[in-house]
Amino acid sequence: MVSKVLVANRGEIACRILRACNEAGLASVAIHAENDSNSLFVELADEAVLLSGETIAETYLDQQQILSIAESTGADAIHPGFGFLSERADFARAVTQAGLQWVGPSPEAIEKMGDKMTARITMRAAGVPVIPGEEIEHEDESDALAAIQEASHRVGYPMLLKASSGGGGKGMRAVHSPDQLIESAKGARREAIAAFGDGRVYVERLLTGSKHVEIQVLADRHGRTIHLGERECSVQRRHQKVFEEAPCATMTPELREAMGQAAVAAAKAVDYEGAGTVEFLLAPTGEFFFLEMNTRIQVEHPVTELVTGVDLVREQLRIAAGDAMTCGPLMIRGHAIEVRLYAEDASNNFLPAIGPLAVFRPPEGPGVRLDTGVREGDEVTPNYDPMLAKLIVWAPSREEALQRMRRALDEFVVLGTTTNIRFLRELCDESEVINGVTDTTTIDRIWPDGWQPTVPRSVEDAALMAAAVGESSGIHRGQTVVSGGGGTSPSPFETINRRFP
Amino acid sequence: MHHQFRSPDGPIEVTVAKQGHDWSLGGLSATVMVDGRLQIINANGSTSYAHVAKVGDVWWVHLEGHTFKLERIEPGASDTDEGGGLTAPMPGKVLEVLVSAGQSVSAGTTLMVLEAMKMEHKIVAASDGTVSAVHYAAGDQVDQGVALLALDES
Repeated sequence: MVSKVLVANRGEIACRILRACNEAGLASVAIHAENDSNSLFVELADEAVLLSGETIAETYLDQQQILSIAESTGADAIHPGFGFLSERADFARAVTQAGLQWVGPSPEAIEKMGDKMTARITMRAAGVPVIPGEEIEHEDESDALAAIQEASHRVGYPMLLKASSGGGGKGMRAVHSPDQLIESAKGARREAIAAFGDGRVYVERLLTGSKHVEIQVLADRHGRTIHLGERECSVQRRHQKVFEEAPCATMTPELREAMGQAAVAAAKAVDYEGAGTVEFLLAPTGEFFFLEMNTRIQVEHPVTELVTGVDLVREQLRIAAGDAMTCGPLMIRGHAIEVRLYAEDASNNFLPAIGPLAVFRPPEGPGVRLDTGVREGDEVTPNYDPMLAKLIVWAPSREEALQRMRRALDEFVVLGTTTNIRFLRELCDESEVINGVTDTTTIDRIWPDGWQPTVPRSVEDAALMAAAVGESSGIHRGQTVVSGGGGTSPSPFETINRRFP
Repeated sequence: MHHQFRSPDGPIEVTVAKQGHDWSLGGLSATVMVDGRLQIINANGSTSYAHVAKVGDVWWVHLEGHTFKLERIEPGASDTDEGGGLTAPMPGKVLEVLVSAGQSVSAGTTLMVLEAMKMEHKIVAASDGTVSAVHYAAGDQVDQGVALLALDES
């Protein structure tokens, strides 16, 4: 039984989960740091409890504090969302030991998949193909660097260095030649130690020209482990996904079945429970290799929801309560695309941006879904991840989904903070994206020297005029010019045209 | 009314005229709407709608799917660029300083590594030159916009 869920997260994903709790008739508890007191997710919870402490470690990552809030509020389940404590086996274990229900897989499954090197070994044993590479267990810096150097001769260039505890591109480096190896390895280790407290880095062959294709799985305690088809997330910048879709444009029913079965085998190998994602690299040859398994709900889960009609977060809650999942046989309908709106300057190496959301007007209309944790008037700060929102569209075909995405991005207005909206919009016009032949190097290949917006001169002139008119008419001082009001004399036309029935 | 906006190629001068409720500029005309947006009639007769907002000295304009950041040069303000560009792009922590004062560097050399928003950011020399000063050491916290190093271009 689950009746009251504590959501151990913030922002967009906390909103997603809190809304699902509301719909399911479950009571909910939000926890928040001081600087999130006015955030949207705090409003969406039945109760919100302030975390003491300043840093992320002292707040959203403070396991003891979160457990005592669960106890004091009478929550009987904890949903970790993604990021933060979602893939921390020690936390999952502590939650279970406190007599609470963890919304996710067992601590053992998290451990086996969370440590990327252990995952590779487990998958090899389960017969799931893994990327050629070598695990490096040394913790000591000089031993590790020597072992990486040694392994580099066997793995070959280009290669990827990846943090064993890594994710989200942190602690990862692509190495194209031997002279970059040591500097890259040091950088990857340093980032990994800072982000995960574990500097172990392993080596993988960099498979260029491959697609990033992942399979959504669901498993319940009633003996059912299923896959819900794939998502393609090849389009990445700095190893972070920006454009995700389902289904993959080049997928065939046979390949989907083969990858789906491999994903189900991966899940079964660790007695998986709940929602999870098995990530693969799909080579141009049609061969696929296990990358990693994310033992949590994923950022891009909405595209699967839109094409399968399955509410993944509701299923997570149901499975955690010990009930059987309710979804039927896999049926994929239409096409869904998600883009991630980041507060960042796409024309300056995707540097994160901060500022006020002076205007925040998302698009509306048919087939448009927005998952966000912010609203107009909020401030984008350097305290947290710069992802502002996920814009997801559904349409009957891939072509129509792209058309809808272009329309939606054109309508999306964010002023006061630099975002990647225009970058995403121009991405939708690129032939690789239109033809569905994207791979993980698409962005670097289309814009080798970085992206710059293409702005028609006439639009730029009109924008300058708008700014000048804004300044002249004092819009920013809260004054709006109302027809017929103020000191200006009304024009005769207004009088003549004013006819009331 | 006359305004100046900063651009990479120097100040842009914009003069708009008002007649009744309508503003005009060349073949363009604009009206301020009740909700603060602008209705713009383009030279070809088409209509577009602009969202505008002012944050500090910067006018943000959204028009036809494009977003513009137009920094207004206040009348009387000098128009010189403050820049060597070697400023902190955001608040963060200095992870590593890779050069010292007096060192010659070539364009593209990594001078400093910052950590902000859980990612590493490299501060790179935009041109060849000599490092004339290093203002921060590894471990220091820096605010957005502070000068990190000084580089004399050669």
